Amino acid sequence: MSIAVKTLSLKQREARFGRVLIAPAVIIIAALIFYPILYQMYMSFFDVKLLDRSVFVGFENYREILTDSSFWKAVFTTAVYVFFTVAGTTLTGLGVALLMNRDFPLRGLVRSLILLPYVAPVISVVYAWKQIFDPVNGIFMHLTVEKLHLFDERFNLIGSPDSALWIAIIFSIWKNFPFTYLMILSRLQAVDTSLYEAAEIDGAGGWQKFKAITLPEVYFVMGALILLRIIWNFFKFEDIYLLADNVKVLSIYTYFKAFVGTMELGTGAALAILQFSLLVLLILFYVKRVLKW
Amino acid sequence: MVKKKNIFRSTGILLLILLVVLFSVFPFIQMLSTSLKYQWDWGNPSLIPTKINLEAYKELLNIGQAEKNIPDSIKNLLDENPELTTEQRKQILSKYASTGDVFPFMNYFRNSLLLSFSAAFLSLVLAVFGAYSFSRTKYRGRGVIQRGVLFVYMFGGIILLVPLFKLAVAVGLARTPSGSFLALLIIYIVQTLPVSLYMLGNYFRTIPLSIEESALMEGCSRFGTIWRIIIPLSISAIVTVFIYSFMIAWNEYLYVSVFLKSYKDLYTLPIGLRALFVSKNAIWDRIMAASMLTAVPVVILFMTIQKNLISGMSAGGVKE
Repeated sequence: MSIAVKTLSLKQREARFGRVLIAPAVIIIAALIFYPILYQMYMSFFDVKLLDRSVFVGFENYREILTDSSFWKAVFTTAVYVFFTVAGTTLTGLGVALLMNRDFPLRGLVRSLILLPYVAPVISVVYAWKQIFDPVNGIFMHLTVEKLHLFDERFNLIGSPDSALWIAIIFSIWKNFPFTYLMILSRLQAVDTSLYEAAEIDGAGGWQKFKAITLPEVYFVMGALILLRIIWNFFKFEDIYLLADNVKVLSIYTYFKAFVGTMELGTGAALAILQFSLLVLLILFYVKRVLKW
Repeated sequence: MVKKKNIFRSTGILLLILLVVLFSVFPFIQMLSTSLKYQWDWGNPSLIPTKINLEAYKELLNIGQAEKNIPDSIKNLLDENPELTTEQRKQILSKYASTGDVFPFMNYFRNSLLLSFSAAFLSLVLAVFGAYSFSRTKYRGRGVIQRGVLFVYMFGGIILLVPLFKLAVAVGLARTPSGSFLALLIIYIVQTLPVSLYMLGNYFRTIPLSIEESALMEGCSRFGTIWRIIIPLSISAIVTVFIYSFMIAWNEYLYVSVFLKSYKDLYTLPIGLRALFVSKNAIWDRIMAASMLTAVPVVILFMTIQKNLISGMSAGGVKE
């Protein structure tokens, strides 16, 4: 009897100890993530003044956003950005992972070098990219105009939103493919090599081996990587804003609405909620239709 | 025949690898090259500077800058007018001395270091206790909390910026420079906490329970076992998590740009660099030198933890 009581209290003490240890993290996350999300929903129904009392406006913020054609343009730009960056990053990552899974001289060095884009701070690499595409001093214009004669004269690729979008997409692929490649490579290295040997004995070619063995093995990793990449790139701000702030994806659109000029925080809150809802829809579609989980 | 085909194939693959490496490092080479070029050399497409120019680095690191900013015309003026008193001379010179800090790189560097270091350290402390709770203790609701923490992955950046800023203004933090700095610090801690908790939790589970049990038997307290056993045994994971959080804070731009907008003295490197780029002091060699100096600490840190970080990321803990 007394032993039973004692074990119970030990268990309780253990539980209390566990709760105490996690409490600070839970409190700070609740206060700075979950509470702000709820607060954001509340804000989205108000004309928010930074220092003054906010005025309740009902669905006015939402109505204003949804009837604004620049919002729908931002949705479209985001869709293009997310689609091409996710596809480009995943395919480049897969290709590089297959390359790096081979034996070649200096492999360790090469593997470290190609991680650089992912590791270096965005702020430190955007200006190098800006300089590459600079109309006056840039090497890209030098190559395409003077060497290859693709264009008649030098112009500012990042200056116009349409071409800047594609530079931002290439930049994003460059910046993020190393992560995808690493994840796929670590999965590839776990593939049993005897599978390939068996396939070779059966006379399978390179493509057949890839389709029958490699692809099924990395399918789930790639599915998860694509999901993460969709989430990350859908909210992406710095990588685009610092390189080309004229590419108005949703994040940048919201940033300008909420923090530049008149600071319409209520509209900003409503925009953030709309952006999040769009993401949830996109994820549901992806998980149900593409991954078929 | 087969052999010939193989040679073609392997050279093709080597070329591809070369291409990937070039694609990855070209912007860095460009950066290094421009940071070492003179202005008249910028249009030169060659990556090797015609003449090496270390001026930009010297300027940023504040080496030998005392006399440099005084224009020649002023120097001549002073030389030609010996009747000026020392007082007047000082006044004229002081006008030019202040332009030395058009880009107070060292100041920004210090702010970045302070902010990133404190955020990473505090996040780590919370994460060690939290991860221990996840991996070693049992209580009702643990699963829910663990999943809830992971759920936080979905929220970040622009999605939380509006309410967090409004709240910081409402409680008065955003109205003072130090308050804004503190608000940023807390935000970085929260943003890095889920990943730290996850990575450390996974690592702690690999430490055999028996070591801890024998320590408890010897009369060691629970906190004692964390301090004397768990932390020393997982030091590599702890360093990794620390550097990972450090890098996130070091790279962050969005929140800094909103919270510290009007407090120039507290600018961190990302917002400082951006301010430099849009200012009239924007010249390529200076920007590229500043970019190099911003990237180098992070790259070095990363290379030291590369192995641990990669296995940690493969285990599923990462956030952008």
